[in-house]
Amino acid sequence: MTLLRASLAAATLVATTTSAVAADTLDIVVPFAAGGATDIVARSFEPIFSEQLGVTSVIRNIAGASATVGTAEVADNEGNPNIIGYEPAGALSIQPSLKDLPYGPESFTYVCRTVSNPMFLMVSKDSDIDSIDQLVEESQEYPFLYGSSGPGTLPHLAMAALTVKSDLQAQHVPYSGSGPAMNALDGNEIQVMADTETILENYDLKPLAVFAESRVEGYEDVPTFEELGMQDLEFSVWQGIVAPKGISQERADAFADACKATVESDRFETFADKSGVSIDYLGAEDFKAFVARRVEVNKQVLKDAGLTE
Amino acid sequence: MDIVLAAAANAFTWQALLAIVIGTWAGIIIGGLPGLGSVVGLTIFLPFTFGMDVITSMALLIGVYCGSVYGGSITAILINTPGTPQAAATTFDGYPMTQQGKVGEALGWATFASFFGGVLSCVMLIVGAPQLAKFAVNFGSIEVFALVCLAMLCIVGVSQGSTLKGILCGMMGFLFSMVGSDPITGADRFTFGQYALSSGLTLIPVVVGAFALSEVFVRFSTRDDEAARIPEARLIFPGLRDIGRRMIELLRGSFIGGFIGALPGTGAAAAAFISYASAQKLSPRRKNLGKGEPDGIIASESSNNAVTGSSFIPTLALGIPGDVVTAMMMGAMVIHGITPGVRLMADQAQTVYSLFVVLIIVNVAMLILSKPSVGLFRYLFKLPQGFVMGGIVMFSFIGAVSVRGNPLDLVVAAITGLLAYVLRRGGYPLAPLVIGMVLGPELESSLRRGLLISRGDFTAFFTHSTIASVLFVLIALFIAGTLWSGFSQWRKDRAAGESPAA
Repeated sequence: MTLLRASLAAATLVATTTSAVAADTLDIVVPFAAGGATDIVARSFEPIFSEQLGVTSVIRNIAGASATVGTAEVADNEGNPNIIGYEPAGALSIQPSLKDLPYGPESFTYVCRTVSNPMFLMVSKDSDIDSIDQLVEESQEYPFLYGSSGPGTLPHLAMAALTVKSDLQAQHVPYSGSGPAMNALDGNEIQVMADTETILENYDLKPLAVFAESRVEGYEDVPTFEELGMQDLEFSVWQGIVAPKGISQERADAFADACKATVESDRFETFADKSGVSIDYLGAEDFKAFVARRVEVNKQVLKDAGLTE
Repeated sequence: MDIVLAAAANAFTWQALLAIVIGTWAGIIIGGLPGLGSVVGLTIFLPFTFGMDVITSMALLIGVYCGSVYGGSITAILINTPGTPQAAATTFDGYPMTQQGKVGEALGWATFASFFGGVLSCVMLIVGAPQLAKFAVNFGSIEVFALVCLAMLCIVGVSQGSTLKGILCGMMGFLFSMVGSDPITGADRFTFGQYALSSGLTLIPVVVGAFALSEVFVRFSTRDDEAARIPEARLIFPGLRDIGRRMIELLRGSFIGGFIGALPGTGAAAAAFISYASAQKLSPRRKNLGKGEPDGIIASESSNNAVTGSSFIPTLALGIPGDVVTAMMMGAMVIHGITPGVRLMADQAQTVYSLFVVLIIVNVAMLILSKPSVGLFRYLFKLPQGFVMGGIVMFSFIGAVSVRGNPLDLVVAAITGLLAYVLRRGGYPLAPLVIGMVLGPELESSLRRGLLISRGDFTAFFTHSTIASVLFVLIALFIAGTLWSGFSQWRKDRAAGESPAA
């Protein structure tokens, strides 16, 4: 173990000493296995981004421990201008409050937010429940079970927040991913689930409300939680680019410009259209403030729901 | 009919056929190399598909997938080292056959059973996808728990000699699988405060250590060079009469694999173990299993390849990816603008039919390409043994680290290798360790989810549904049967021990 640590430390040292200058190659860390939902977006983003930046880039999939292993790898490269991470919401805004990690929100130089999709509260199409009120009422007699794609994920957090802010009686049952959770919803093992439009459309479910500040285009008849009298229930699944902290302002600006140009490109827009992700750009400063706010909100939810001390 | 013809025309373009040949052959070789399995193969080929049209890219990926599942059996039979975890159960009878000089027959059965399982699962996919998907939905957490318990019982069968040692190794594998994040609460456990361990131990590094590395150590420590020699790989296909005689075995393995494949999240490795366990109870030649009986190879290979076709059932009928592999395929579809989901069958019928045609061609290609692939491995293993073993070590480590790019996995593979060597020297069977590792996570999370669903009442598991009750009754029968045969054996032994004195 010490040997591993020593060699890892040595490798990092080499990385930081030799590559303090921007090189022609860029590592893009994706903290999930190849072929996952985040990976697909990252792989469509990568060619356009590297073209804009004028470098050759390589996607490195470093998966494990709810995407924190790959994220830690980015944080670990302090001052290295040749590595960035294509990060999911959970690894940046939930996991640091949930577990003891070698990184925190301040370990990064924030580049941009690329996409963001609001989450919906949904039930199976055959369900006789048509509104949140009805859901809350029926849960009093016999508590519902809600699924998620794992403990500490956004579907889990959104539902945990809802049970805190409303009278809904529901318990969490985590699955190994959205797919198995959908199978369980189909078999009535769980009754409710919070997830994005992609899941809603692909599995043909019934949305009851949306975790967003205003109604969503295409779902004009789905109310927001605020309209239903519940404050501060906004959850979305987003992704963004971060670089390690300690890189030069010049490099950070170059990343930010390339990112902006990429998300505004026709190619990326076409991809987003096809794959059901919504482009929702935030620049470096806004993204940083956004993540800081989400960290606070999520920390409170985790605490209220009894998931952390 | 028009749509089927149009679909076939899509699949029979030169690009698609070329992709099938390249994909399948590369898949067989990648699968055969210890450590490199289906997921690594697909990761290598996924970026190439970005520039292709949808059918061609599916053809390439399906070829790699099916090829790699079959390829794992080649090294399992030749050098007792499964190329992929899916082929772990193939070593039980495949390697003993090799030791008896029946390597050609063993490879022949593995190839034919793979082909048979693959084709039958295509048929199941085409004919029964909607019905099977609907039935699979009935398999909730409690039913899956019962199914996994049933599969766990095969540890008893593969423990060769000492059940106690087998159970011990099974527990060890189960314990390994628990390191990392708790599946229900997300908290870290058994990590000893080391962040590197919080991502847990994954299957590939452990399988690579337990089989490939320990095999290398064993070979280097044996002085008897004759026993350590790798026999020349040949391929002798079974005759029609033999196939007829073992048809029941082929069908049973394929149906088990086909059904397990339709359950989201269970996978080919589990299917092979479950099928092997059933062969131990039902095969007419069950007494010879584990000693070089073709039925064992058939049970393992027909079922793991039957998973390839039917794993598309939840994907196509419900839009739910059954495993990592189908999730990657869905990703490839998304890139090409096809959204998988409940309406895929209705909206994209032609693409789906082309996919069926491709699957069948891939299985035929696999059968044809088996000969040159085995030839290639024959050539590779003719190299001086030092090179072969060195190569195995190298590929094992590449495979271990490439799954998720975590350097910890190298350490895990090395330590498991040393541990497995010690265990083998002590006469402990390694298969239970892998079974514990494969089935452990599913056993634990299905049990704990089941308890959440039944509000903490375990007795409710037995009466939860007809399927669950039937499975638990089977488990009870299995245990009773094993105890009874153990007891009568003990009585016989005692009677035999007493008679000379009398």
